Amino acid sequence: MKKTPESSAAVDLRDVHKIYGTGPDPVAALDGVSLRIDPGEFVAITGTSGSGKSTLMHLVGCLDTPTSGRVSVAGEDISTAGSDRLARLRNRSIGFVFQAFNLLPRLDVQGNIELPLVYAGIPRRERRQRALDAAAKVNLTDRLTHRPSQLSGGQCQRVAVARALVNDPALILADEPTGNLDTTNGADVLRLLAELHRSGRTIVLVTHDPAVAARAARVVEMRDGRIVKDTAT
Amino acid sequence: MNWLSGLLIGLREIREHKFRSFLTMLGVILGVASLLAMFALTAGIATGWRNTMQQLGGLERVGVNDKQVSLEFADLAALSPGRTLADAEALRGLPHLVSHVAPEMQTPATLSAPDGQTVSARVVGTWPDNLAVSQHEVAAGRFLTDLDLERGARVVVLGDAKVAQLWPDEYGTDADFLGRTITINDRPFSVVGVLALYQREEDRRRREAAAKGGPAPARFAMGGRRGGSGRRNMFSWKNESVIVPLSTLYHEFRSGQPETPPLVMAKLDNLNFRVRDLQRFDETLTAVQNLLRGTRRGIDDYDFDTREDWFERMETSLRSTQLSGGLIAGISLLVGGIGIANIMLASIAQRVRELGVRLAVGARRRDVFLQILAESTVIGMIGGFLGLGAGVVLLDLLGRVAPLESPPVIEPSAILISVGFATAVGVLSGLYPAWRASRLDPIAALRYE
Ligand SMILES: Nc1ncnc2c1ncn2[C@@H]1O[C@H](COP(=O)(O)OP(=O)(O)OP(=O)(O)O)[C@@H](O)[C@H]1O
Ligand SMILES: [Mg+2]
Repeated sequence: MKKTPESSAAVDLRDVHKIYGTGPDPVAALDGVSLRIDPGEFVAITGTSGSGKSTLMHLVGCLDTPTSGRVSVAGEDISTAGSDRLARLRNRSIGFVFQAFNLLPRLDVQGNIELPLVYAGIPRRERRQRALDAAAKVNLTDRLTHRPSQLSGGQCQRVAVARALVNDPALILADEPTGNLDTTNGADVLRLLAELHRSGRTIVLVTHDPAVAARAARVVEMRDGRIVKDTAT
Repeated sequence: MNWLSGLLIGLREIREHKFRSFLTMLGVILGVASLLAMFALTAGIATGWRNTMQQLGGLERVGVNDKQVSLEFADLAALSPGRTLADAEALRGLPHLVSHVAPEMQTPATLSAPDGQTVSARVVGTWPDNLAVSQHEVAAGRFLTDLDLERGARVVVLGDAKVAQLWPDEYGTDADFLGRTITINDRPFSVVGVLALYQREEDRRRREAAAKGGPAPARFAMGGRRGGSGRRNMFSWKNESVIVPLSTLYHEFRSGQPETPPLVMAKLDNLNFRVRDLQRFDETLTAVQNLLRGTRRGIDDYDFDTREDWFERMETSLRSTQLSGGLIAGISLLVGGIGIANIMLASIAQRVRELGVRLAVGARRRDVFLQILAESTVIGMIGGFLGLGAGVVLLDLLGRVAPLESPPVIEPSAILISVGFATAVGVLSGLYPAWRASRLDPIAALRYE
């Protein structure tokens, strides 16, 4: 793969440490991770439970900052960024899909998909239109006024995907998006992610399932807070 | 995100938990209700007082009273002629300060209407200015004129109650009392005017209700107080008026007796005047003082009776009522605020995950802060408006249970202040919960079960 300058990388981690707890036995969730992901890549991250995959995703997703080391996302160094800048990056540059869906139970599908646009200060009418477009992409136009409790798990995760892509972010992070789904629904979500990848977005996907990981062009394996394998397939 | 979407989120949150929100608002509702009731009651009392005051002559009315002379003048007291018509004439020399002067002489007399009853009364002899000084209102006919005074005309102006006593059978009908002749101590007088009926606001409303023929409101039937007839009200002296020209009274009933002084040196029973400009009240009193010092030969046997002291006492007691009412309202609002803060904290704890999701999709700390603050503000505001309603109901109940001397008056400013306080309570009690919510760590919030 051709080396591009750091600033044009989608994600760039340099010797990143994340240590939880300050007491007598702190946990090093990340223990010197360096990882570079170029724009347009589809990367799967695998590893045993507790190996630090989610921690890594949180850093890349600008939900957290490292204890030491450098994290750059979309060309911005976030290691020392303030909370407002992190919020802005989360809002504009990153779409997050969680294992547990994390939809707001009191908002309907439309409201959930719109949520990032609300914080982007997009006017109501445009929000509506863009939410509609996103819902169409995940094939949920007929469920716009339903609440999450009225949806199946697969539908919920599709709403979450729509929410992740509604702001047209360059980077989409999915932390075990199929973990709570059966095979069919899981396949649906994976197909959506693959489509997003084809349309030019960078995808980082955490998974336990080797079959799922096999669909990615690059698989990163972690153990005890370190990257132990990084293979392009 | 702006305030508006924060408010919308707050409104939705309240709609989702109607009953909980209502309980949360209860303290604010009670606080605002008592605040409004307190404002309305005191405003009603103040309005009643001001009306009464106005009808009694207003702040402008000043009386000149006799007073025990001070020690240094004790020996000379006899030298002062006392309160005489000369004083009144002198007061007329200050037209730029004193607008009206009304000297009064009084005499007890027997009134008799040939076509009616015989009653006893206190006859007042005065000047035409009495109309303005006592704030009389002529219902029919006219008041005294300068011509009456000059000619010593035998004319009389009667108060409403006196008409009722003299002609009980005809009172209240369309009968015309003007031009009738009555005798005062056997001397014939012609009735030239009848004064309006003066009554307290409450009595007026009762009378109007009775006149409409509808059933009298329940509250009037209960309790021992039957308003006007049960108690002598403060207007009775006006309603009982029998007013004749001063000169007439003097010549008909006073002179002819041995050792009567000439009219101008005759002692007065009352001397009232009206200050032209309240802004120059003190200046006027000083000028009058100097003037009277002359007519009294420097002896300080007079005093001023102003309504200012009375008014001040009124205001003071009104303020203390307001203060205690405000205190109760303030405590309710404080309790209400604590209630809101408490519920907001609980509701944040319930919604940690929701807030985590909002943070994850790009909400800034200040967005979360605003959202929570907007919610508590909305609770306070809605509580305020509900409190207004509760206040009105409270006033109505109060009026039914214990009839009010003066009807409560709800001023726009009272509404503004009440709702304003409620809103402020909402904002203040939301500050801490909002700050707490805005400090949430996104990851911890997302993991929260
Ligand atoms: N807030 C925290 N406080 C203390 N330790 C933490 C915290 N978050 C994570 N850890 C620890 O960091 C390590 C990595 O956790 P992480 O969630 O990244 O694992 P993971 O690879 O996502 O595991 P899984 O596959 O089970 O989701 C674990 O040992 C975990 O106990
Ligand atoms: Mg994990």
